Amino acid sequence: MPTAMKKKLPGLSRFVVLLLFLLGTLLPFYWMFVTSLKSRLEIYGAKLTFWPKDLTWDNYATTFQASSFPKYFANSFIVSISSGLLVLAVSILGGYALARYRFRGKGVIMLLFLATQMVPVMVMLVPLFIVFGKFELLDTLTALIITYTALNIPFCLITISGFFQRVPVALEEAAMIDGCGRLATVVRIILPIMLPGIVATFVFAFTAAWNDLFFGVMFTTSEAVKTVPVGLNSFVQKFDINWGEMSAGGVLSLIPVAILFAFIQRFIVAGLSQGAVKG
Amino acid sequence: MSASNNMRSAGRSRWLLRRMEPYLLLLPAMLIVLAFFAYPIVKAVQLAFMHYVLFDPSHIGYSGLDNFKALLKDANLPRILLNTLFWVVATVGLQFVLGFALALALNKKFRGKNVYQAIVFLPWAVSAFLVGMIFKWMFNQQNGLINHLLLQLGMIDKPVAFLALPHLSIIPVIIAMIWYGVPFFGIMILAALQSVPHEIHEAADIDGAGRIKQLFAITIPYIKPTLVLTLLLRVIWVFNSADLIYIMTGGGPANSSDNLPSYVFSKIGYSADYGQASALGVLMLVFLTLYTIVFLRVTKYREAGEL
Repeated sequence: MPTAMKKKLPGLSRFVVLLLFLLGTLLPFYWMFVTSLKSRLEIYGAKLTFWPKDLTWDNYATTFQASSFPKYFANSFIVSISSGLLVLAVSILGGYALARYRFRGKGVIMLLFLATQMVPVMVMLVPLFIVFGKFELLDTLTALIITYTALNIPFCLITISGFFQRVPVALEEAAMIDGCGRLATVVRIILPIMLPGIVATFVFAFTAAWNDLFFGVMFTTSEAVKTVPVGLNSFVQKFDINWGEMSAGGVLSLIPVAILFAFIQRFIVAGLSQGAVKG
Repeated sequence: MSASNNMRSAGRSRWLLRRMEPYLLLLPAMLIVLAFFAYPIVKAVQLAFMHYVLFDPSHIGYSGLDNFKALLKDANLPRILLNTLFWVVATVGLQFVLGFALALALNKKFRGKNVYQAIVFLPWAVSAFLVGMIFKWMFNQQNGLINHLLLQLGMIDKPVAFLALPHLSIIPVIIAMIWYGVPFFGIMILAALQSVPHEIHEAADIDGAGRIKQLFAITIPYIKPTLVLTLLLRVIWVFNSADLIYIMTGGGPANSSDNLPSYVFSKIGYSADYGQASALGVLMLVFLTLYTIVFLRVTKYREAGEL
């Protein structure tokens, strides 16, 4: 019993460390949330309050009614979901090849994918801007979808190939002996087993697209195609920042990723420790 | 006779198809990577040797080394290179130390661990834009939380415009960046810690080694390859990152909080001088290439291939 207790309860020093990290993480989120619930008067009032004196949802109401925020929100969803799905499709094909075949040039291809991770965004912005201009794709959601898809493929493909490697080959062979074709085997047996990994990869790609700022700023100008960060940013650049509405917009934009992230963070750690990163 | 021939040729074409399969499966990914990573690099190098100002479209053309000569004369550049070094070392160093502490604290089962983990890892999923705005608001001169707390503690007598202090305004941005990046290290190091076999610690327990001694003598050496790799990759990522600076200070006052990439973005955004921006981008690529060569020496490449 005492040893079992010891396992359940963190020691005092561990408890203090955990508490400090919790407070440090929560403080900025808390401050944004509290600000979003305050009136303009209270935010700029002489006395700073840690909880709104007159709690109000006005900032949320204005964000939704008096601005293009709902449009930004819809755009962000369209862009992030489409590019997430495209990333998955390409990564599953390529990841399977890297995990299950031996072929000439495999090492070079792996190295190429890894090398992409160091290419600075700042080097890509102008050339891609010029190309999209030539194809008349500037100021469209298509340009953003294609860009985010491309940016996330290398990392996601390597991750997915790691998940394929963890599914025993014997399982695939057994299904094929039972008369399943290769494609049917992968679709009906292997992919369902990998589902947590596939979901985690999708969330990764989704979040990256949801959060991008610079490509959006560079490629889009009209309100109709701005994503959440880009729209809020252009607002900030033009007008004095209204911190109440900004915070409300921030809280709203955080909700989808926070929900997704809460579900998948376990898979990330488990996935990484099982093999993606070998010690 | 002919039946067996048919079978043989069918087998042969199937064999050929089978050999082509991995390449066909990788084709979409390869095309996209070439179009979106290789092409921009080639194009950026070309642009670096051109006079290319968006607002001056009639004078676009090759200009030799002019962009690089202009960079050498740029009075901002020494300051920005120094900032970049400080930015990378301070950010990655502190993110690593704090992330390690968090991972050690999490490397044991306790009640509510899942919920706890979901909260402390959350900053990782937040957009840089939002992180920048939250911290900008907290460091605000007028009614900012940090100023309020420091006033209460008596450490300052009047509110400070932290984000407008010449030469120091990069520090609040680094603080925000640390907050943003601790979860990444926490996740990576926790994953590595969980790969350490329990038997090793049990054996060390029997031998009477204390917790601290076990950490330095067993755990750290065991996960060292992961630690080194994570650190080195993170340096590249932080070196390339400009969003928080752009959002919190805009590089100001007077470019004193710019790092290399945020300076490139200001060249793109404000002066629309794509030639000079590309020359700076090429400079970044040169730094990254040199760094990577050292990186591959240190990690001996094979380990990098496994990540």
